[in-house]
Amino acid sequence: MNREKVVFSFFMIMALTLNFGFFTGEVDNPNHHNVYELFAVIIVNLIATVLKFGDRSQMGAMLLATSLVALVQLISASIVWAYVVNIQGSVMTADTMSTIISLSGGAMIANFISVILLIIETSMMRH
Amino acid sequence: MSLVTSLIMRQMRVPIIILIMGYAIAMLGMVITPGIDDQGNPWHMSFFDAFYFVSYTATTIGFGEIPYSLSNAQRTWALITIYLTVIAWFYSLGKIISLVQDPMFREALKENQFSQQLSRIPDTFILICGFGETGHELAKALTERNIHTVIIEENDRIIQTLPLEDFPLVIPGFKGDACDPEKLIQAGLQNKKCAAVIAVTASDETNLKIAVISKLLHPDICVVCRSELEEYESNMFSFGTDFVVNPFETFANIFAMAMHSPALHLLYDWLTGVPDADLLTSPIYVQEGHWVICGFGRFGRGLYKQLLKSNVQVTIIDPSEEKREAFLSRPENKSNDFIIGTGFDAHTLTVAGITEAVGLISGTDNDTNNLSIIMTARELNPELFIIARHNKKSNEKLFEATKANIIMQPSEIIARKIRTLLVSPLMIAFLNKARNQDPTWANITISRIIGALGESVPSIWTLQINEKEARALCQVLRLGRVIRVGNLLQNPRQREKQLAAVPLMLKRNQKLLLMPTNDIAIKSGDQILFCGTPSALRSMQWSQNDLHSLNYIMTYEDTPDSYIWRKAHLFLKRNERRNRPRQKRHLMK
Repeated sequence: MNREKVVFSFFMIMALTLNFGFFTGEVDNPNHHNVYELFAVIIVNLIATVLKFGDRSQMGAMLLATSLVALVQLISASIVWAYVVNIQGSVMTADTMSTIISLSGGAMIANFISVILLIIETSMMRH
Repeated sequence: MSLVTSLIMRQMRVPIIILIMGYAIAMLGMVITPGIDDQGNPWHMSFFDAFYFVSYTATTIGFGEIPYSLSNAQRTWALITIYLTVIAWFYSLGKIISLVQDPMFREALKENQFSQQLSRIPDTFILICGFGETGHELAKALTERNIHTVIIEENDRIIQTLPLEDFPLVIPGFKGDACDPEKLIQAGLQNKKCAAVIAVTASDETNLKIAVISKLLHPDICVVCRSELEEYESNMFSFGTDFVVNPFETFANIFAMAMHSPALHLLYDWLTGVPDADLLTSPIYVQEGHWVICGFGRFGRGLYKQLLKSNVQVTIIDPSEEKREAFLSRPENKSNDFIIGTGFDAHTLTVAGITEAVGLISGTDNDTNNLSIIMTARELNPELFIIARHNKKSNEKLFEATKANIIMQPSEIIARKIRTLLVSPLMIAFLNKARNQDPTWANITISRIIGALGESVPSIWTLQINEKEARALCQVLRLGRVIRVGNLLQNPRQREKQLAAVPLMLKRNQKLLLMPTNDIAIKSGDQILFCGTPSALRSMQWSQNDLHSLNYIMTYEDTPDSYIWRKAHLFLKRNERRNRPRQKRHLMK
């Protein structure tokens, strides 16, 4: 058992599940999407990214790349949120919500790819 | 990414994750904890506010309670936030800074910087192993001639002070043991741009190793070695080292030259010297008579062999009994004396006959002894001709003060020889050929050079008549035109004037012609060795590569109405119009 891989898998799958939880619901309905969930997704994704720092293997570099993609998408989603609510000072609208959700949907695909890569890596292990 | 960088990145994981966790907990708590706004309504921080609050709290900036003053519940959480995040920050920051300062990491950065400098070198470079006195002089001389050099040296301090020195080109320095093949490869041995390796470390064994490694790993490279011992020298030659330079042998040859033909020695001194220095040296006249040699090591033996060839009486002073027996057992040494002693006391010198001697060679391997010998001998016989062996560069001023007639400094001699080998290989052939000429030839050559250049050390360059280096010349030669050596010496600005340059030798199909006359027609593939002023070199390059200037030089002598030249003229004009429309009018004159 490789503890490093287990810890990383935990965070990666957690990122995917949390993202899925945030993503489900009507795309333009703010009531269906919880801000705490977005926060958790970002934090978990951040940790998953940092866990791949300095990994010299090909698979490690691929995983770093996919989680960086997810991170960029999620941070853009949170910036959109903060911009509309805190800087413009307006109420969350259906337009803004759908933008945020589509960004997080993109991040979810990146997370999904990460998990697939993880599964491939695990199944390639000989023991 | 290098191994070290990824190791550092890997070690940064924990501090960064601690930081992220600290922030996450603090922000989440701030968002959940209830507060009251300025109108007394219940209020919660948004994630945006929380991120702002935690950011300025964690970094100890502390803007205060923004946007509304905090409730007691929020203040409680703020307390936890402060201790949590400030500690997380300090821990992570300290850890990251210490990682960046890690000696391994810094070394990796330096190696990275070195390979960047290496990749920035545009054409070829010469790898110098060992940056002692010889390496230093070589690097200076080569960079002054626009030849890039790279240095590998074991001493860290020398590498660190390298950027502080004033070289005309950036010299990348690599710290490492040159005997280690790995390090040599890192320093650029297998790089395509590496044209030559010069091994000039202090130890013959190291030089030998470097030569072996270089010849094995990059066989077509030119390897030049410094060697002071004969057994190493033959070993180096055995596997194809291109040049082995022995300072004592080189000096003995120079000494022989000075003895047999002072004018040739002077010529040698000029043509291999550093350009633009003043020509202070006057010819040295070595007298025949009684000579005293102090110290019968490699230096003394080399000079003794040369002295044997002339009609001189020699007395040797050396403390070694074995050397004396070996010396006296040889039949050719019969007429000469060998005295056991050191030579820096007046008694030994007097016994050796210093008062009647014409010359003294002070050749021990200890500078203090040499200085002492010279001073004692001068007192006994002020008329002596003195040759001093100078071992350490730091004693330069002392040796200058002794006013010895010839001072032999090994590192300077090696640097001069290697510089000549690398910068103008034809010069070695020229000097070898010149040695076989009679002494008046050297005198005539000297007066010709002085007449053309004045009294300053000339620059030396080789003109290669090929497409790359002399485009215009080749183009015109292909059209069947005749260009003579004299034409090359015309000034492209004012064709009646001569450039301050003298052709020394012409090489054509392995045949060497000394001092080619102006009426010799040049052919494609020729190599001509010139000496002259730097400005003459620039002007000459102009007429070699610029059809326009060449045209200007050539037209006054030949009639432009022959069939070929008419065609050439048309061709040139067309070319000019295409290349330089602005100067068209100038072409017409």
